[in-house]
Amino acid sequence: MAARRGRAKRRKVCYFTANGITHIDYKDVDLLRRFISERGKILPRRVTGTSAKYQRKLTVAIKRARQMALLPYVND
Amino acid sequence: MRNYEIMYIVRPNIEEEAQTALIERFNSILTDNGAEIGKVEEKGKKRLAYEINDFRDGYYVIIKFKGDENAINEFDRQAKFSDDIIRHIAVREDDQ
Repeated sequence: MAARRGRAKRRKVCYFTANGITHIDYKDVDLLRRFISERGKILPRRVTGTSAKYQRKLTVAIKRARQMALLPYVND
Repeated sequence: MRNYEIMYIVRPNIEEEAQTALIERFNSILTDNGAEIGKVEEKGKKRLAYEINDFRDGYYVIIKFKGDENAINEFDRQAKFSDDIIRHIAVREDDQ
């Protein structure tokens, strides 16, 4: 495509759909860590490529993990 | 009757006997309110992501059980009272 400049865009795939994960557990800290930034913020869908359905579930899981001090609210 | 999971954090500087007594007591709170405990899993001492009441680590316990809101409410009430439990959460498991 002529309109697309710079690096060719790589098609992002949803981690959860690709791996057949239907339920995101808030206790699975190692998994959740992939979806938070260095600062501890939840990464947007446009960065991770997560589908809308799983992004919603992911958000809930991360927030639960934060409540239980499994993940930080802020990381500095 | 629904399936629930409760996770709570016990303060780290508690004596061993007091800790087992505490876990026992909170299990019986659930059973006294008509819940059937499926599994009690002690995750052990883990580092907290942030400080809670000046504690840097905590002892995590997970209970999986079948019960109704009475059990949850009573557990919640008692856990709020208790100074030994620094955090707790109840999650419903059915719709997952």
